[in-house]
Amino acid sequence: MKEKIRVLIAKPGLDGHDRGALVIAQALRDAGMEVIYTGLRQSPKQIVRAALQEDVDAIGLSCLSGAHNVLFPEVLRLLTEEDAEDVIVFGGGVIPHQDAKVLEEQGIKKIFTPGTSTKAVAAYIDQAVNEKRGSEKKLLSPPGGVDHIGIAVHSIEDALRFYADHLHLKVEAETEVPSEGVKVAFIPVGNTKLELLEPLTRDSPVAKFLEKKGEGIHHIAFSTHSLEDRIEQLKREGVPVLNEEPKVGAGGYPIAFLHPKAANNVLVELCDPSRKGEGVKS
Amino acid sequence: MKTRESSYFQQWQEDTQKQIEKRPERKESFHTLSQIPVDRVYLPDEMDEHYQDELGLPGEFPYTRGIRPTMYRGRHWTMRQYAGFGSAKETNRRFRYLLEQGQTGLSVAFDLPTQIGYDSDDAMALGEVGKVGVAIDSLEDMEQLFEGISLDKVSTSMTINAPASVLLAMYMVVAEKQGVAPGRIQGTIQNDILKEYIARGTYIFPPKPSMRLITDIFSYCTEFAPKFNTISISGYHIREAGSNAVQELAFTLANAKAYVEAALDAGLEIDTFAPRLAFFFNGHNHFFEEAAKFRAARRMWARIMKETYGAKNPKSWQLRFHTQVAGSTLTAQQPDNNVVRVALQALAAVMGGTQSLHTNAKDEALSLPTEDSARIALRTQQIIANETGVADTVDPLGGSYYVESLTDEMETRAQAYLDEIEKRGGAVAAVDQQYMQREIQRAAYDTQKKIENEEEIVVGVNRYELDEEPEPDLMEVDDTFVSEQHQRLESLRKNRDEQKVKRALEELAYQAEGTSNLMPFIKEAVREYATVGEICGKLRDIFGEYQG
Repeated sequence: MKEKIRVLIAKPGLDGHDRGALVIAQALRDAGMEVIYTGLRQSPKQIVRAALQEDVDAIGLSCLSGAHNVLFPEVLRLLTEEDAEDVIVFGGGVIPHQDAKVLEEQGIKKIFTPGTSTKAVAAYIDQAVNEKRGSEKKLLSPPGGVDHIGIAVHSIEDALRFYADHLHLKVEAETEVPSEGVKVAFIPVGNTKLELLEPLTRDSPVAKFLEKKGEGIHHIAFSTHSLEDRIEQLKREGVPVLNEEPKVGAGGYPIAFLHPKAANNVLVELCDPSRKGEGVKS
Repeated sequence: MKTRESSYFQQWQEDTQKQIEKRPERKESFHTLSQIPVDRVYLPDEMDEHYQDELGLPGEFPYTRGIRPTMYRGRHWTMRQYAGFGSAKETNRRFRYLLEQGQTGLSVAFDLPTQIGYDSDDAMALGEVGKVGVAIDSLEDMEQLFEGISLDKVSTSMTINAPASVLLAMYMVVAEKQGVAPGRIQGTIQNDILKEYIARGTYIFPPKPSMRLITDIFSYCTEFAPKFNTISISGYHIREAGSNAVQELAFTLANAKAYVEAALDAGLEIDTFAPRLAFFFNGHNHFFEEAAKFRAARRMWARIMKETYGAKNPKSWQLRFHTQVAGSTLTAQQPDNNVVRVALQALAAVMGGTQSLHTNAKDEALSLPTEDSARIALRTQQIIANETGVADTVDPLGGSYYVESLTDEMETRAQAYLDEIEKRGGAVAAVDQQYMQREIQRAAYDTQKKIENEEEIVVGVNRYELDEEPEPDLMEVDDTFVSEQHQRLESLRKNRDEQKVKRALEELAYQAEGTSNLMPFIKEAVREYATVGEICGKLRDIFGEYQG
């Protein structure tokens, strides 16, 4: 049986507001983890000592007083000093966006800002710890790049005039995907591609898109690996997905769409071009 | 009998008229914008016994409809914005700005090291100096904080708890140096330690010596600073920690009873200290429930003081309270929406009859407020006071079937909690048993789950999200002053009379082991420029430290 994940939730510094810390601790327990809460006013030294004693996989730091820029890196420094850099450190609280970025660059695995769902936090930690233990594939690395940008058009031929005549781009491949009721033209540009989408039938998704929104950007496709696992991970984090299982896209490799409400009204496609021609597991 | 013909009402009118002759209302007569006259108070046609017992008239027991007969027709609530950051000098500038903008009282936010009794150069203060409030290490800082502000002209609220006696002593010495007698200083110290163990965490000493420090302040101020509110018993933080409105009401009153009993045990007469007890509540989202909570609080307290403790002075029966709108409801997403939230929460507090009000700035879910956002927050109160007409009649929601029913229900449910706490041996015992802490934590987790399941809608967070969040302008506290603060401390320690400091601290330690009132000895140490850290350190040695 998989060993239970152990997490230390800590309140560094003098700030006494621990509602967030207690809520996260409870949510992680509900998600099946063993959680130790340090209580208030812990120095970075005390936190690291407790983490080593309790042999935890991760430390969650909560701070609302504005002292995060001093205290969080100090925890990282002390972990390194103790040869315990493998302990995952994440944080939360009133932490401005700019500070979060800097802290993540310094080695805090993730800063969760106010409004993050507890499910997302639990799923993230679960994934991060399992990756660290080597039992799961790396899913938390960001996508490798933009595979293509889908553009809905009434007619590929009309649309090509601009791309071919003025930008001097060339169509690499043109194909029909009857199951989606769509004709597709791929136009390579630099490291990525444009995908022009023309509806074949009136009731196809692209036809409906054109009717509602007119021509324009339809979706963005990110290239990733471990597509099936990644869909599972997103579902656990509460992200709405349109395809529970990958399907074969127009490029001949597995793809899956996420619901636009997950990404500020942008339809996001995840795809794995390295599996071209391989099809998908049923 | 018709209400207006009843002798009860006639008497009230006569008494009120006499008061108005001494202190007139804001206007000779009040009208709506279409010139419909607005009465002082609206009443049922016939006032039965039930009405008289449960609601009564404004300024009369049980004060459900307000503690004064004319309420805001006489004068608006005190607009008291909480402010403080960085150094005393910088905060002094913000204070003067707010006073120039028409604010009528000051409210000091101290940084965490000050609140927990550490000097700015203590290792425990790492990263915290000047962050959530102003750093005060010694009388020197306090003098700078109030430079150019006459302490007989303003009332000052200080959010300070564990080291409240130290900061109050500093305030008194600053006043003395300005030539203002302690009897003339006005304001409030929060001084509510029980809620620190329950909800906010800035405790230093264990409950017993903490309660002694509090009752020492009660009796010292009764004698020397009778216009100063000696405690502000706070539901605010209990609510921020995640409680619901009923728990906020119940736990606050339970704590208040504990302070009263501690003072009685210390030998004080109820009517000597009770009129200086003040309260501090949260102004949250549910408009009617909040207004009902304030009305129920007044009624419950009046009865507790009169019936349980036998207070005779009507001033002891009156629950006076400050309100701050709910910081925890502010969202980092679409911060402009917070202006609207704050306005509605503030309106509920005014409808509930608050004596003073702090409106939060829109950016407080992200950082300390900027000068702009602090001004908008103050303007929000000024608009409610001057443009909406809600201040022109007393208790405008009184008599609403819904509000009266909610008020009754709040009282019943809060009373059930009070009974439970009583059974557990009172608030101090219940804190020890972690009873309130557990209740609050459960409520907090339930709320979080409801938000995640979208049973509770938070605009801009789980509904009506924006595609692109604009980057707000944020206030940044410049950290360079921290090293200046360290240098100031160093030169202070060099320039003061070290012998006198040592003697004052030793005397304090000696008295702390006994039973004397500690206020005079703290004041003496403060006068010699002993630091907050030194004074609290001495007391730590004697009293020990509380481990949460």
